[in-house]
Amino acid sequence: MSSPTTPTTPPARRPWRLVARREVVTRLTDKSFLIGTAITLVLLVGFLGWTAWSEGRSDTYTVAATADGLATAELLEEAVPGVDDGIEVEVLEVDSDDAGVAALEDEDADVLLRPADDGWTLVGDEEVDDDLALAVETVVRTTALTANAEAAGTSLEELQRGSTVDTELLEGDAERQDFAEAMGVLLAFLFYFAALGFGYTLSGSIVEEKANRIVEIITTKIPVRQLLIGKIAGNTLLALGQTALIVGVGLVGITFTDYSSFLGDVSAGVGWFAAFFLVGFTFIACWWAVAGALASRAEDLQTTATPLSFLIMAVFFGAFLFEGVVQTIASYVPPFSIVLMPIRVLNGDAAAWEPVVALLLLGAAMAATVVLAERLYRRALLQTQGRVTLKQAWTAAD
Amino acid sequence: MIETRGLVRRFGEHVAVDDVSFDVPGGLLTGFVGGNGAGKTTTMRMIMGLLALSAGEVRWQGRPITAADRRRFGYMPEERGLYPKQKILDQLVYLGELSGLTASAARDSAAASLERFGLTDRAGDRVEKLSLGNQQRVQIIAALLNQPQALILDEPFSGLDPAAVDSMVDLLREETARGVPVLFSSHQLDLVERLCDRIVVLRAGRVVVEGTVEELRARGPERLRLVTDGDAGWVRDVAGLDVVAVDGPEALVQVTAPDEGGADAVRRVLLTEGLARGEVRELAVVRAPLSEIYREVTA
Repeated sequence: MSSPTTPTTPPARRPWRLVARREVVTRLTDKSFLIGTAITLVLLVGFLGWTAWSEGRSDTYTVAATADGLATAELLEEAVPGVDDGIEVEVLEVDSDDAGVAALEDEDADVLLRPADDGWTLVGDEEVDDDLALAVETVVRTTALTANAEAAGTSLEELQRGSTVDTELLEGDAERQDFAEAMGVLLAFLFYFAALGFGYTLSGSIVEEKANRIVEIITTKIPVRQLLIGKIAGNTLLALGQTALIVGVGLVGITFTDYSSFLGDVSAGVGWFAAFFLVGFTFIACWWAVAGALASRAEDLQTTATPLSFLIMAVFFGAFLFEGVVQTIASYVPPFSIVLMPIRVLNGDAAAWEPVVALLLLGAAMAATVVLAERLYRRALLQTQGRVTLKQAWTAAD
Repeated sequence: MIETRGLVRRFGEHVAVDDVSFDVPGGLLTGFVGGNGAGKTTTMRMIMGLLALSAGEVRWQGRPITAADRRRFGYMPEERGLYPKQKILDQLVYLGELSGLTASAARDSAAASLERFGLTDRAGDRVEKLSLGNQQRVQIIAALLNQPQALILDEPFSGLDPAAVDSMVDLLREETARGVPVLFSSHQLDLVERLCDRIVVLRAGRVVVEGTVEELRARGPERLRLVTDGDAGWVRDVAGLDVVAVDGPEALVQVTAPDEGGADAVRRVLLTEGLARGEVRELAVVRAPLSEIYREVTA
């Protein structure tokens, strides 16, 4: 029997890179993906542009005051823009409290300034703007401090200098905290967006390979593990790339707004988010791969991927709902730690060692998942008769 | 040569493949025949390493087969395995690279094969835009990209028109001329009969027949066709045969005791008797078609 005259072909070197490259190229040449990314960026730039624009303009509030409050109201008119450059105050003199209330109801005035036992009350019709209240409080306090200080025999200049520095810090802290919180919500949303979007794509492409049986051709050429690694690596790269693009454009956009001075404070949190995202997405992607392998047709995916979708949703909502001790504990528990720990870093709640420990835990969970997922993926991958349960995949022979 | 030795595959309680042993010699086309659920696809998947063996062994060139050996096999799964939305040439290059070819070698090989099948101008099309027959051509190109040392093809002819069948046959003949063993499964017995050097028949997970087409036929009953110029009804009285059919001057008979050299005796009797009654226009051995043998061995 003659032996075939076949030239020997060496095996593909690190074939997972070929698989990963295909995943990336396929997605980058997919019009809907490109359009979706472009729309996201346009919305982001639009939002930041609107923020920068709305910061530049100031809101004018009409403060109604009776004769008792007139002096204070006029003080507000003069001093509030110096405290918050987004707010201007106009004074409306009214004859009585009742007339002031009527002015509120007729929307002739936004707030009514009324003397109280130990200071002043701002009366609004439906609401009193937070920024206005804060600015008024600052001005009134400064004035009160001045008067009190004079009574105590201290000089006005000295006191004003001291109080000015004090109030600016108070204001800055609150705003900084708001900014950090908003950043945390945004990052949690980005992870949710990527974990769900890229996850579905990953499991969809695995089902596609199963349904078309091309997986049979591929796995006669390369080990199943290489295929799994390649698919996860490719999709992680895509998710990370898209998220980095969005975050990058967002951060550059923020430098055009008044928030630019806060960027230094959130950089540590954003850096940790990148690290948690990388490990966390890989962790989640393993399960998406299993969800794909358990399905035989695209329709099955709805069933096999549902628990995973709920888990990712829980991680997302956990970012807002968990507080206090629960938040601290959850910030160590994968997959919740993926967003909660960076959020705690952003909020300045986490000690320097905490994200390191949480990341190590997440990394360990990811490593365990890769091993589990590879077994499930390998065994479910070639079962093309309908849905495979986790138990069947786990116990099946190769 | 590929050898399977005592292959067994169980799915839970069900034994899909039960002690299957056969050879696929180099340079020959081996047809793999059997009804639905006979275990053909399962056996082929086991040869390709896609399914683990419950028992038994697959051997290549006289030693246990390895993953490296299989990587240089060409394989065509039962349902066509390609990415529907990827461009044809890109897809072939990808599969070639996975087989270990460089990108440029894969591109050259794919381009040459596409040209051969007249598909050069479709290279940039998505697979889903091709007709079924052309998809199958791309499929076989994929299996042949890296000059495989063996071919395992699950139903390569299903859905092909006669012209496509012919070009597929030419291609397979070229591969066997290189000394490559080719195993292909098919439901089309006439095709298998026409093409194959060897046949393996599977029934309910077991090999019922293995051998060359001639060997298989020899297993079948010997039949004789007699054409006289008168009525041939007299054959009913001849001993040592069963009458299959008599129609006027024509008769088809089956020798009942072929093992005792009875065929020659029956032939002599028919000739003598026939000549005694008039002319014998024809007396010939009739080979039962493969489909009939198949029905018999798988019954």
